[in-house]
Amino acid sequence: MSSIRPRSAAAYWLAVPAGLWMLAAVVLPTLLILWVSLWGGQSVSPDNPITFDNYARFLSNGSYRALMLDTLAQAAMIMGITGVLGYCIAYFLTVKVTSPAWRTALFLAFVIPFWTSTLIRAIAFVPFLGVNGLLNQALLAAGLIEQPIQAFLYSRLGVSMAQVSLYTLLASGPVVYMLNSIPPALREAAMTLKASPFTVFRRIILPLTLPGIVIGQVLVFLNVLADFITVTTVGGNKLAFLGNLILLFYEGSQIRATAVVSVLLMAVMLAGVAVALRIVDIRKVGG
Amino acid sequence: MHWKTRSRLTSWLLGIVTIGFLLFQWLPMFTMFLLSFAGENGGTTFPMNGVSLHWYRKLWEADLFDDFKPPMLRSFLLALGCSVTTVVLSVTAAQAMRGRFIGSGAYFYLLLLGLMAPGILVGFGFAILTRLLGIEGAWNTTAYVVHVSWALPFGFMTMLAVFNRFDPRLEEAALTLGATRVTAFRRITWPIILPGVIGTALFGFSLSYDEYARTLFTAGSDGTLPLAVMAQLDRQLTPELYAIGTVTTVMSLVAIFLCTFAFWLRSRALRGRPSH
Repeated sequence: MSSIRPRSAAAYWLAVPAGLWMLAAVVLPTLLILWVSLWGGQSVSPDNPITFDNYARFLSNGSYRALMLDTLAQAAMIMGITGVLGYCIAYFLTVKVTSPAWRTALFLAFVIPFWTSTLIRAIAFVPFLGVNGLLNQALLAAGLIEQPIQAFLYSRLGVSMAQVSLYTLLASGPVVYMLNSIPPALREAAMTLKASPFTVFRRIILPLTLPGIVIGQVLVFLNVLADFITVTTVGGNKLAFLGNLILLFYEGSQIRATAVVSVLLMAVMLAGVAVALRIVDIRKVGG
Repeated sequence: MHWKTRSRLTSWLLGIVTIGFLLFQWLPMFTMFLLSFAGENGGTTFPMNGVSLHWYRKLWEADLFDDFKPPMLRSFLLALGCSVTTVVLSVTAAQAMRGRFIGSGAYFYLLLLGLMAPGILVGFGFAILTRLLGIEGAWNTTAYVVHVSWALPFGFMTMLAVFNRFDPRLEEAALTLGATRVTAFRRITWPIILPGVIGTALFGFSLSYDEYARTLFTAGSDGTLPLAVMAQLDRQLTPELYAIGTVTTVMSLVAIFLCTFAFWLRSRALRGRPSH
């Protein structure tokens, strides 16, 4: 017995507002993009015949295909870096730091920026990476370089650095969750049975945190693919990924081309999520 | 012995990686804070050319083109509306899930979809929808609907987690003593889930306040703060942008601090009561 009766009419009525909201604001718009991407004819109108011409036209362009591959390569690179970095940080914070006060402090320092604006954080990389930026000044002062490095800002390197900074928490968070759910007795048992620390890590910790790694990688994958803010703020106009292409077509009022790129982006994302779901059963993670 | 030294070595290595990353994460923001206090002739990079509140004053006395006050007010009101709506919808949806109605599995995934769908696609799709319906986009109508759809999954997950830890025997006791279900919810359930509700409200506020992609496609002519910041960045990067960045970041930090403090006060108050 609780304040709501199982399968009661009240349960349905309470579910309706949020359900309708998501249908109208997320599901319907997504289906509309799919529909618009198939509109044929000369003018943009729903009365035109359904056709795959828009896709054929887009995919026949070699530079667009290269841009798609480039976006995927960028996502793969950021996934790799944030994956390793995020795991190291998660492991250090949950296993290696023993003082609760330190753990809380470091954890807060890690998480707090996530609650501030991504746009502002991306902009903050401009004075950090610039020719007279903090990073160059520090490297000069340390005597590591003799001249400021130009390539930090308005380059792929700069965008990647900003993306690593923005998305490592996404890769790390689920691992922290999984590490915390491992009972300490498990490690102790393995240790008692004379397993070396490396074996304990490889045979016990790593397999048990795998779902966390995969979920983190999915989050990074989705975010890098859809990221266009970091690319415009830190990359200047020299760089474009699929997200920027969507914006470019939209601003040029090429609605059907925008829809085509959006659908392709969505397809790539769904494929990525499907692969991840084959590796781990996400529903089991919460239990 | 041998393992112990090696384990200490890994601790050091991982510690250096962690501290290095934290520095890398905070230093750009710190640079921005510092440069926002640059002198009148200060540029967007070092040297600072003096220390002043010039750029904050400029922010306050802004002219027509780069006046951030109206977009800031719009962002604030929108975030407030989004926060309240997210709380109401998240609590009702999570309460409905407790009713285990037929189709609740699919319903769970429907609400989670908003978490996976990227802002650029949702924003663009919703722009098509409003265009087909002939509705003019505005920050307080279309952008509001899309913002709530972004914050709702976060709030919903928070409330589900809160209800999972909730002891239903407390409600049972109230019902056995003759309370109606509504009274039991109002007098027993609500006070217990209140910390989760505050968390949900914070999600609703900050996710809306910082949202760029979804707003870009749906806000119409009067933009929110992130749009104004991006427009100014397109025109020219000035320390004024650093000033506005610093102001919003400090506001976020204060909000986090207040929430953490409220949680702490509450948990202390709960601990203080005699147990039964």
